[in-house]
Amino acid sequence: MARLPLEGIRIIDCGHVFAVPYACGLMADMGAEVIKIEGPGRLDITRDGPFSGVHADNRPGADPWNRTANFNLINRGKKSMVLDLSRAEGREVLKDLIRVSDVFLESFTPRVMRGWGLDYPNMKQLKPDIIMVSNTGYGPGSGPYSQYPAQATTQEATHGLAYVTGYRGGIPSKAGQSFVDFLASWACLMGTALALRYRHRYKKGLWIDVGMYQLGCYTVSEYILDWLANRLLGERLGNRHPSKAPQGCYPCAGDDQWCVVSVRDDEEWAALCRLIGKPELAQEVRFATHRDRLAHHDEIDGIIAEWTRSLAKFEAMERLQGAGVPAGAVFDARDVNLDPHLRSRGFLETLRFPPERGIGERAIIGRPWRLNKTPLAVRGPGPALGEHNHDVLQGILGYSDARYADLEQAGIVATRPTQLRPLAYMEMDERVRRGRLAYWDPDFKRRLGTEEDEPGAGVPRVVRPVPRDPP
Amino acid sequence: MIPAALDDLRVLDVSQGIAGPLCAKLLGDFGADVIKVEPAGGECGRSMPPFSGGEAHPEKSLFFLLTNLNKRGITLNLEEPRGADIFKELARRADVVVETFPPGYLASLGLDHPSLERQNPGLVMTSITPFGQTGPYRDYKGGEIVAYATSGIMSISGTTDREPLKHGGFQAQYEAGFNGTVATLFTLLLRDVTGEGQHVDLSVQEVVASTMVINQPFYSWTGGVQGRRRPAGTMFGNVMPCKDGYFVSQAGGGASWNDVADFYGRPDLKDERFADVNQRVINGQALDELLVEAAKDRTMGEMFKTASEQYRMLFGIAQTPADLAACAQLEARGFYQEVEHPVIGTIKVPFGLWNMTETPARYRRPAPLLGQHNLEVYGEILGYTEDDLMRLRQAGVI
Repeated sequence: MARLPLEGIRIIDCGHVFAVPYACGLMADMGAEVIKIEGPGRLDITRDGPFSGVHADNRPGADPWNRTANFNLINRGKKSMVLDLSRAEGREVLKDLIRVSDVFLESFTPRVMRGWGLDYPNMKQLKPDIIMVSNTGYGPGSGPYSQYPAQATTQEATHGLAYVTGYRGGIPSKAGQSFVDFLASWACLMGTALALRYRHRYKKGLWIDVGMYQLGCYTVSEYILDWLANRLLGERLGNRHPSKAPQGCYPCAGDDQWCVVSVRDDEEWAALCRLIGKPELAQEVRFATHRDRLAHHDEIDGIIAEWTRSLAKFEAMERLQGAGVPAGAVFDARDVNLDPHLRSRGFLETLRFPPERGIGERAIIGRPWRLNKTPLAVRGPGPALGEHNHDVLQGILGYSDARYADLEQAGIVATRPTQLRPLAYMEMDERVRRGRLAYWDPDFKRRLGTEEDEPGAGVPRVVRPVPRDPP
Repeated sequence: MIPAALDDLRVLDVSQGIAGPLCAKLLGDFGADVIKVEPAGGECGRSMPPFSGGEAHPEKSLFFLLTNLNKRGITLNLEEPRGADIFKELARRADVVVETFPPGYLASLGLDHPSLERQNPGLVMTSITPFGQTGPYRDYKGGEIVAYATSGIMSISGTTDREPLKHGGFQAQYEAGFNGTVATLFTLLLRDVTGEGQHVDLSVQEVVASTMVINQPFYSWTGGVQGRRRPAGTMFGNVMPCKDGYFVSQAGGGASWNDVADFYGRPDLKDERFADVNQRVINGQALDELLVEAAKDRTMGEMFKTASEQYRMLFGIAQTPADLAACAQLEARGFYQEVEHPVIGTIKVPFGLWNMTETPARYRRPAPLLGQHNLEVYGEILGYTEDDLMRLRQAGVI
C-alpha cells in the first residue's frame, strides 16, 4: 500500500465541535493515528448537543451518542478514549499519552490549559519536540476581546462577513453555518503541516495559536483595504458581482429550484443572448459593457428569469455551460449527495459501520483534493464512545490490567456518558412542518445506493458532455 | 538567518485570480522563495477591484497586493515555444508549481505534471480549478457564485421568501486558497520521505461543499434536506437591529437563559414560552418583537461589551470594514502588516492568520510590479544576462 503523508504520526485531539476535530479527522484520512479524548460528563456536543437529533434513520437507539451524523463525519477514522480531565488522575494519564505523541490539538479556553499545567511551556517539559495547536475564539493575548466567549455563529457578524452579506438594500445577514470554524480547521492543518516539516528539519517542536476571529476578518480583506485606501465601506450586493454583469440567481421550473448565472465578459454576454433566443440584445448599446449592464441589471434579470423559469435547474445549468456561460444549479443537500460529477470524482465516501452499531453504510464528505499517486480515503467511522480505551491505555501506554481496572472503577475512564443533554427527538414530518427542514426524502437510501438489500440501486442522473473550450 | 519551515523550497506561481495566488503567497509567508510568473500583460488579478485611488491600474489592485506579498515577479509567455522551454527549465529547479488554468491547457503546451515530472520527479504541482481535473463538469466555467451554488451552501443561505443568497465577497476563493496550501503542504511532507512529487487536483466546488458537514450527512443519515430560514420569527440567533447597527445573540456559552433575560432587562423572557429551543422556535415571532424592542436604544459597542464581559454570552456585532481597520483586537494579534509599495505607497495589509513560535509568518516584500524581478530571477536561476533578456523581450517571450 502506498505510504500516507502522516504515517507514524500520533495525534491527540482534545478539540470540540468542528474546527479542531475536523482538522484531526482529515489528518486521520492522511494516515495519522488520531486519539480523540472526551470527558465522561463532557461529550463532544456533536454527539448529543444541538446538532444532534440527526441519528441514523432518525432513530436515537440505545446509544444515541454514537449514532449522530455530524459526529461520525467529522471524527471519521479516529480512536476514542474517555478520560476525565477535570481530575488529576485523568490528567496524569493524558500526560503519559503526550509523552508518546507528536501533535496535541485543543480548543479549551486558555485559562483551562494553564490551570491544568498543560500550556505550551509545560507541555514542552513533558515532550520537548511536541507540536501543540490551540484554537480559540479571539486568540489569547492583550487584546480587548481575548477573554470573550465566542462561537463561529456569532463571530460571523463580528469578523465582518455579515456586514457584507445580505440581499441588496436589506439588512446584514448570516450566511452559512459555522463559517469561521472551517477556516480555523484549515489553519490548524496548515500550521500542523508546517510544524511537522519544521520539526523534521530542525528537530524542534512549536506552539500554534489559532484565533478564529482574525481568520474570518482575513476573508473580508478587500473591504478592509478599500476602506483604508479609499474610505469606502462597500455595500451588500446580494448575488450581484461588484464589477461584472449580469450575475444573479434565477428561478427554474419547480418549487424552490434555482440556477445562478455569472457573465464575465462581452463574449459570454453575447453567448447568453444567443442561447436564450435574443441575439439582438448583444447589439444593444444600453447592454454593451459591464458598466451598461450593471446600470440595467434589473431589466436583464427579468429577461434571464423568463428563460430559466421553464427549465429544470440542471437543464438550465447544462445549456448555459454548453454555450460557454458560467452557471450553476443551486444544489441542495440531496443534490450534493447524488450529483454525478461529485460522485465520479469520489468526493463522497462511504462509511461502513460494524453491524453492532446498527448504522449500516452512510455517505460522507471526503476531501476537496486528490493526489495522483497516493489514494487517500476515510479510514473508518467515527468511534463509539470509549471504544479504544483499552487500545490506548494498555496497547500504547502499557498500563496493567489492575491499573486499568482502577481507572475504570474511579470513573476516570468510561464507555458511557455520565450525563446527557435531553434528546431533541422530532419526527421527520414534524421537522418539515416547523420549517427546520425544507423537505425529507424517504427514498434516500435507495437513491444513495446504501440500502443494504439492494446495493448500487442509486441511479445517477445523466449529464450531457459539454465541449471543451479551446485554451 | 532565522530558519523557517519552507526556506529550502522554490515555488513557481503561474496561477491567476485569488485562490491560486493566495495559496502560493501563504507558502512564501513561511519562507519559500515564490516566483510569480505572469503573461506580459499581467495576470487577471491585476484588474480586480478595489484599486488604490479607485481607478483601474495594473499596479494598484488591492486584491493583487493582498495575495502576492512575499513574491518576486517575472513575465513569461508560456504560449511561445521558447517560453514553454524556459518554464520547463524553471520547473526543473523548483519544488512546487501552483496553477489555475482550465484542465488540459498546460497539457496542450507540454507543461502538465507528467511532462514536467520527467525532468523533475520531485515536483509537486497544485492545480486549483472550479470543478477539478476530472468528471463531467471539469470543463465547466466557474466563478464565486457558481461555486456557492453548486456546493450546496447557497441553498441554506437567505430566507424562504427570497432566492438563495451568496456570502458577500469572495469567500470561496479564500477557502480554496487555504485548501491549496493545506494540500500542498501535506504533499510536501510525503515528498520529504519518498522524494516523489505528485499532482494535486483541487476543486473549488468541493472546497465549499466540504463545509456542509451538517447538511450533507443529514440527508445520508435521514433523508432530511435543510432549506433557508423563515423571514419572520427566526431573528434570535440571526441578525437583529439595535440603535446604531446590528447584532447576533445566541443561547449557550457561559450564560444561562436567565442571564440572557437579565442582559436584555426583560423578565418576560423567562416565560414558559421561551424556556427551551423548541419553545423559542414555536414562539419565534413574539421573541423577535421582544428583543428588537429591548435593543432599540442600545449600541453595538455597549451590548457587545456587556454581554461578553458581564454575562459571558455568545454575542456578535455586525462590524463594518472601518471597524475592522481600527480594531484593537486585530492589532494586538499582529493581524496587520505595514507594507511600502512603490506605486500604492504605505498601507497596512491583513497578513497574520495565526501565531506560531519558531517559524511564524514573516513579511519580506510587497507584491511585485509586473516583471519587476526579471533580471534578478532569470539571472540568478538560469544565468541570463541583460542582453539575453532584451532578445527574449523582443521575441515576445518575456
